[in-house]
Amino acid sequence: MKNLDPKRARWIRIRMGILCGLMACGLGAIVSGAYRIEVEDGKDWYELAERQRQRRLHITPKRGTVYDRNGAPLAESVEVPSVSLDAVEMLRGIEERYVPMRSQQYAERIAQVLALPVEEVAEKIGRRRRFAWLKRRISEQEAEGIRGLSERTQRHPIRGLVIEGEGRRFYPNRELAGPLLGFVAPDGLGKEGLELSLEHELRGEASEVKGLRDRSGRLIFADSVENEQSLAGHNVHLTIDKAIQFTAERELAAAMRTYEALGGSIVVVEPSTGEVLAMASAPGYNPNDYSSSDPDARRNRCVVDRFEPGSTMKVFTMAAAIASKSISPTATLYCEEGNMPIDNVVIHDTHPAKWLTPTQILSLSSNIGMAKIGLGLGEQRLYEGYRRFGFGDVTGLPVPGESSGVLRPRGRPWVQVETASAAFGQGISVTSLQLAMAMAAVANQGRLMEPVLVKRVTDSTGLPLFEAAPKVRRDTVPAHVARLVSEMLVAVTEGEGTGIEAAIPGFRVAGKTATAQKIDPATGRYTDTHYVASFVGFIPNDRPRLTIAVVLDEPMGGTYAGGSVAGPVFRRVGEMSLRYLGVTPRGNTPMKLSEVAEQAGGDIAESTYQALGKGRAGEAPAPSAAPPPAAPVRIGEVRVPDLTGLPARAALKSVTELGLSASIEGTGRIARQEPAPGSVLSKGAAVKLFFEPPS
Amino acid sequence: MIRDGLAGHERDHFDWPLFIGAVLIGVLGVINLYSATSVYSGARAELYISQVYWLFVGGILGGILVAIDYRHLERLGYILYTFGVFSLALVFVLAKDVRGSARWIEFGSFRFQPSEFMKVFLVIALAKYLHDDPRNEGRTLRDLAIPAALTGVPALLVLKQPDLGTASILTLVFLTIAAMTRLRWKSIALFLGTVVAAAPIVWTYVLLPYQRDRVTVFLNPEGDLLRRGWHAYNSRVAIGDGGVFGSGYLKGTQNQFLFLPDQYTDFPFPVFAEEWGFAGTVLLVSIYAFLSLWGIRIASQAKDRFGAVLGVGCSAILFWHALINMGMTSGVLPVVGVTLPLFSYGGSSVTTVMVALALLMSVSVRRYSGVPSLDRL
Repeated sequence: MKNLDPKRARWIRIRMGILCGLMACGLGAIVSGAYRIEVEDGKDWYELAERQRQRRLHITPKRGTVYDRNGAPLAESVEVPSVSLDAVEMLRGIEERYVPMRSQQYAERIAQVLALPVEEVAEKIGRRRRFAWLKRRISEQEAEGIRGLSERTQRHPIRGLVIEGEGRRFYPNRELAGPLLGFVAPDGLGKEGLELSLEHELRGEASEVKGLRDRSGRLIFADSVENEQSLAGHNVHLTIDKAIQFTAERELAAAMRTYEALGGSIVVVEPSTGEVLAMASAPGYNPNDYSSSDPDARRNRCVVDRFEPGSTMKVFTMAAAIASKSISPTATLYCEEGNMPIDNVVIHDTHPAKWLTPTQILSLSSNIGMAKIGLGLGEQRLYEGYRRFGFGDVTGLPVPGESSGVLRPRGRPWVQVETASAAFGQGISVTSLQLAMAMAAVANQGRLMEPVLVKRVTDSTGLPLFEAAPKVRRDTVPAHVARLVSEMLVAVTEGEGTGIEAAIPGFRVAGKTATAQKIDPATGRYTDTHYVASFVGFIPNDRPRLTIAVVLDEPMGGTYAGGSVAGPVFRRVGEMSLRYLGVTPRGNTPMKLSEVAEQAGGDIAESTYQALGKGRAGEAPAPSAAPPPAAPVRIGEVRVPDLTGLPARAALKSVTELGLSASIEGTGRIARQEPAPGSVLSKGAAVKLFFEPPS
Repeated sequence: MIRDGLAGHERDHFDWPLFIGAVLIGVLGVINLYSATSVYSGARAELYISQVYWLFVGGILGGILVAIDYRHLERLGYILYTFGVFSLALVFVLAKDVRGSARWIEFGSFRFQPSEFMKVFLVIALAKYLHDDPRNEGRTLRDLAIPAALTGVPALLVLKQPDLGTASILTLVFLTIAAMTRLRWKSIALFLGTVVAAAPIVWTYVLLPYQRDRVTVFLNPEGDLLRRGWHAYNSRVAIGDGGVFGSGYLKGTQNQFLFLPDQYTDFPFPVFAEEWGFAGTVLLVSIYAFLSLWGIRIASQAKDRFGAVLGVGCSAILFWHALINMGMTSGVLPVVGVTLPLFSYGGSSVTTVMVALALLMSVSVRRYSGVPSLDRL
């Protein structure tokens, strides 16, 4: 600019200056714009950004698995991909007038991949929601196809298609324990059974987390939770044994078919711990396909249904009466030859008899004898006795809808005739589970256990969170009374007892039958056509491993007696379960007498066989209903059986049952006996048994 | 390196401030591109490497341009211009459709955007025209008819692609150069009147619906957030998320979580603003401001009119790109597809900017070799 005249040079400088100034202003406007956004309104924009990236995510953690006691899964969650649609995202940036055309194109391509009707997909796109399920539980192939559609390398990638794993509940054993387990609705909530009652454990803790998300809504990471495993639900290990459950369900279903029963339930409990090994309810259903099942079939009848138990209650009346000493086990009661009027009601016996011992009252299931015992015990003590055995109370098992049963249906103490009928199980209602638990108390030296269904809860990594320990709910009757009653109950399944069909070869079975009339809802009176047949018992009698309650509602087809309907079911379930558990029939498990005494609790064994022996000794003639067996010996005399080779306990039992007393020397098995087998002794005489350890 | 290629006296006048400013932008651009492409999804993480390659290609091309006297370009002026217009026309024949607009020419795996190079070609052509027109007194609009036509042809071709952004840049570069010629005040008034009168016609007949949408959205951004306003809105969210000092390098969530659209092509500024905050923004704007103003200074010192127009034109390219891009992302201007020099990813864009910077350097180093000719502008 050297040669310029000053005027021109100034003019040029002004122009340059103006241009520079304008440029500076322009960029200054940018800076001021940035200042407004970043500094002045910074907080607002920051919050908008927060809102965009921070999502209160509703995470459905993986639902815990339900296992049986041996670790076999009964209910588990499987991740199944589902595809959803973010229609807003899909149509973003598409001009409004092209939207219908593009929607149609997209709908066609999506529908082709997912095998859906085009209109359905188009309709979902047309709604323009941020979220809509396109198809749930898609196959891996379909997922692959959807991924292909949204691939960026595509000519027209479809945005807004989201594939996510969705937990689907799967019951690998199909119908097995269906009514017990329940099912999970598509929203991930347990709806019935254990799925409902254990919802809290199975579902997992955190269902809502604050997290960061990217534009497609994918979770990047969460504020507080590092991995999804800690979100997952807990695993529940049940006390249920899949094999026993299966056996129980199979036998129950077979009996249902044979006797055309309306329904039925079986509860198998381990008496010493209260652990529920099986809980079968029929008719059942397949929770994998619960929607097509009859809602009636989803009910867990073992705990929900209450019914008039009938004669099985005699066990507990008897135990309460002996415990309160209102009756002596050796007494005999006059049983009115089958008809006894009380107030304006006549009580009948199916096996009319004159004089019966308590054992016979149980084994022949005499209502009259029991009514007399009940009346002798008195209303208050009978009611309390039942309460002690857990009747009229929920057991507290974690299952939904448990019924407590009703002992006093009118809400007031029983009048005389009500006491008499309550003594043999009429006019009150119980559940199968209550019966099983009460019977287990008899088997467990009078200790009523709390039923255990959840053995262990672990978190998703396997860390134990809860471990169930056997818990005594209360002592019902003294141990020796329980022992005595359980011996009496063996008579039910032996000889001319009503439960002979429940006997398992090789084992001594203690149990009680019941054939309870149902009340006709139309007339409000007991019918002669509709019954609840049941059998409750435990095996083996000397060292109870299993308590089994079998209840069949309204068996038809000719037979309805508890002994013939429920008894065989009990036998088959018991026999198979014992074999499965490795419990062998007597003769294979040598046992020292000292052990026997210890197990029985000190002098209990002594008192038991003495009581029984005496009872037998002063026995009245056998009831007329059954012809007396052909007697090879005169009345008051018995033939001594061959006892050699038997274990102590078994030998002791057979001796005492014959009304003989025994004296014992040594331990192990019987090597010889005095007098020799086959000789005839008068009742009350002593037999000398010499024991030797097995070689 | 570039300096070594120069003759002795030119080497003495090597424009260090321009060089340092350009290097600074280039380095920041690559750093920012790395963040913009290394998003959470991991997509396109390799892009910053090819950006570095392009910077080298541009650097070598620029080195050659600095080494040879820019006055040689004068002879080539109309040839280059014709070639540029021809390629723009070719786009319509060979075009690959990218989101509804045809901008690319492809040779096998290599593709380029003629509209980018056209900016430089236009500046050279305008410089040649004004250089050959040695008028000194004030010009009328009629005198500018030919330069206007030179601009109008490529601008209309680009607008038809459709690429409103580049068309605007071409027009604005022309207007900047025209403003530096001696226009009569009457002419200026007449011109402004014409612009005001022509605006509605352009709005109705020239602009495409989506381009009109962008302007509408700019005027009323909250009207349609989720669709048409999405770009503008999210880029402002990202900038605002940065605050005063930014959320830190590679930590901008709006960028990393893909809320930002086109964050490595048209929207690298919000990425930078989010991660470096207002402080970073001021720095970046300052560098662009420096380069633009320094370019005008170079032009004012150019030894001939060709160099002067070249300098003004190249500065204008840098300036308008920076202004429109940052303006549209921060909501000061409507959204049009304009790249941010050396920040946006793209071979054509990077090379063009490097060439423009090299031309500035070329003019600058030769500012004392001859008679200053600015007065003849």
